[in-house]
Amino acid sequence: MRIAAMFSLAAAAVTALPAMQAYAQDAKKGDDVVTVAIIGEPPTLDPMLSTADVVSIVTQHFFETLYTFDSHWKVRPLLAKSMPKITDDGRTYTIPIREGVTFQDGSKMDAHDVVASLKLWEKVATRGQGVADTIESVTASDDNTVVIKLKKAYAPLLSLLAFSNSAAAIVPQEDIDGEKLTKLIGTGPYKLAEHKPDQYIKLTRFDGYTSRTEPADGTFGERKQIPAEIDFVPVPDGNTRIEGAVAGQYDYADGLSTEAYDRLEKSDKIKPVLLNNFGWPIFAFNLKAGLMTNLKMRQAVEAALAPNDMLLAAFGDKKFFGTDAALFPKKYVWHNEEGSDLYAQADPQKAAKLLKEAGYDGTPLRILTSHQYEFHYQMAQVAKAYLEQAGFKVKLDVVDWATLTERRDNPKLWDIYITHSPFLPEPALTSLYSASSRLGWDDPEKNKLLADFTSTTDQKKREELFAKLQKMVWQQVPFYKVGSFSALSAENPKMSGVPQTPWPFFWNAQFSQ
Amino acid sequence: MARYVAKRVLGMIVVMFIVLTTVFIIVRLAPGDPASLMLGPEATPADVVALRARMGLDQPVVVQYFSFLGQIATGNLGQSIFFNQPVTQVIAARAEPTVLLTLFSIVIAVAIALPVGILSAYTRGSLFDQGSLSTAMLAASVPSFWLGLIFQQYLATGAGWFPVSGFGSPSATFFERVHFIILPSIVLGIVNSALIIRFSRAAMLDVLNDDFVRTARAKGMSEWRVVIRHALKSALIPIVTVVGLTFALLISGAIVTERVFNLPGLGSLVVGAVLRRDYPVIQGVLVVIAGLYVLINFLIDMLYLAIDPRVKY
Repeated sequence: MRIAAMFSLAAAAVTALPAMQAYAQDAKKGDDVVTVAIIGEPPTLDPMLSTADVVSIVTQHFFETLYTFDSHWKVRPLLAKSMPKITDDGRTYTIPIREGVTFQDGSKMDAHDVVASLKLWEKVATRGQGVADTIESVTASDDNTVVIKLKKAYAPLLSLLAFSNSAAAIVPQEDIDGEKLTKLIGTGPYKLAEHKPDQYIKLTRFDGYTSRTEPADGTFGERKQIPAEIDFVPVPDGNTRIEGAVAGQYDYADGLSTEAYDRLEKSDKIKPVLLNNFGWPIFAFNLKAGLMTNLKMRQAVEAALAPNDMLLAAFGDKKFFGTDAALFPKKYVWHNEEGSDLYAQADPQKAAKLLKEAGYDGTPLRILTSHQYEFHYQMAQVAKAYLEQAGFKVKLDVVDWATLTERRDNPKLWDIYITHSPFLPEPALTSLYSASSRLGWDDPEKNKLLADFTSTTDQKKREELFAKLQKMVWQQVPFYKVGSFSALSAENPKMSGVPQTPWPFFWNAQFSQ
Repeated sequence: MARYVAKRVLGMIVVMFIVLTTVFIIVRLAPGDPASLMLGPEATPADVVALRARMGLDQPVVVQYFSFLGQIATGNLGQSIFFNQPVTQVIAARAEPTVLLTLFSIVIAVAIALPVGILSAYTRGSLFDQGSLSTAMLAASVPSFWLGLIFQQYLATGAGWFPVSGFGSPSATFFERVHFIILPSIVLGIVNSALIIRFSRAAMLDVLNDDFVRTARAKGMSEWRVVIRHALKSALIPIVTVVGLTFALLISGAIVTERVFNLPGLGSLVVGAVLRRDYPVIQGVLVVIAGLYVLINFLIDMLYLAIDPRVKY
């Protein structure tokens, strides 16, 4: 019996040998399959349900929205035939829907599917719920036209409809059961063929796809469906993602530590892809309870912090971060320098004076952070040193990410929590400025400014209003932008057609021979 | 015998009940919230409360506990919050890599440990004995993740003999998947062989000086026959015990090794479930693991009957 078992195992090993040799000789993937290592298993494949980036990266291949963004973050049509007709008061959007578009189940998409999808989005998606109170009605005036009526003008609406994160995805109305999607079927260029949790998400080309014909520009324009298959492989361990990338096991690896840059550069199987100005680390302040409800105390923190040292500890090399007070980088229309004199003060004397004025009694300042993103923790350590130098007593609460996401919803448990965000296409896409966010920035002057900003349709005026809002951020300190950082990914040097974006997509990816 | 088996089975049921209750309490005591994780960073507290209600996580803990016990009694481990699948289905999907990893690792560990342990005992005090003991000590001290990373870098990334991680592409055949298992199996085989070497050596030393071995030699038997047919057979009980426990440890998920090699087995599942606070999956996996431990211990006891006629229950 034991001998038979040994023989079976030996036979298995011998049979596996050719596969081993083949792997050693040719580790690259076939020309028509793109293998992408992502940072972990997406918490859901319902694109409406989550604001996690990994959900957007995967689901944008099989779900589509009415609008999308070009490479300059300008809103452009996707399932909509063209940009909407908006009434002068900014309250009615008439959206023509493209004809001849089919879902991956073969059914035809029409305005009734769009209406049902947008109503679901209003109910279950974070971004949809955020705008639901502003929407008066969503109706289909005919099979190919949708009319959205608003209670008041709301300028960010199209950006919200275009964003692939907490997406207003269009699905067949038959697949909506109350507040749930019963199937993962969209109109995208790829369809979900197989999902083995924690192992792979296999997408195959959707043969019935009708692409737009404009030249590809960002996620707008032609989606050529070049690869026959896209396999997303969740690889939660950062080092394993790097090793797999260097070995040529993946065509694209996302979310790599910047420490791996030199190693990737030396590899002939993979090349580093540095996405400059990917995102910004944020120290979010609790304005609902505790020490940070006192403005002087927040200003003391602002005066004490030294972003350059914090970012250097977190990212190691200047090429991976930038120190800049602007809440949007230079290439964005929202970029401005308002309030920048209050950034990077690193002035412990001023901070100590502000603390005295605030009547600080030595209560520990609780900074909630986690090792989930190592750079958060590293920034926290440097911040602690600077804050203590200014006279704060600091308590670092280092917990796992799940605990952090729960605790930050209880204002009694923290004073500052550390997070980060990619630079989003439009300021209204983040909840940081909202009075109802977990920060609770509820200042009457700011609320009015924000209301004006969201209701004004004139772009120039909106940019001016945002500049005022940015100035107010640095004056009232509801959060602290530490700086900006670059994201490191790795890409097969033979692959092209994958633009640099926080949410990479692969429908135009092609391999040179 | 029948009375002993019945007593053991009853004991197993009591142990499992204690395990179920403990697991339920520990999982609920841990902070963290699956709704918040699922919704992502931009979710507001109100969104989280609404999703918790949709998931049924707002039910009183006592209601959840009795619902959990009721489900287990009917063989239902519940529904995964994140995968939206029955937990039994989620666990079944992870069985293949873990079972393969366990089998290959145990074969490698025994293939290394048994000859080395026997030879060490036989040549007690020799250079080989000293060397093998030191090597075993080193193997036991090396963290499996470190050895995994080193092997990954040199044998997979460097030499290209093995894939770095994962369990094969969607189109991979069974033997291609086996290929993904070999490197982590070698790591676990080496690490786990250390304990078996020490146990085999100690067990063999105990019996090599026994009267029956001396008698066998006096009868003119060959050394091979004395050592393998007589001494080894008598030394098997502690060896089988340690191999059995190693097997139980591995089948319950070589958590660190699975993580390093990105193997989608039970170890990765339980780590992922803890990080995501997928309560039904954590509970389900822990119940299955506890059940396997209890069962393997029972089987080891039964095996004693087969390999040692002196043992009677």
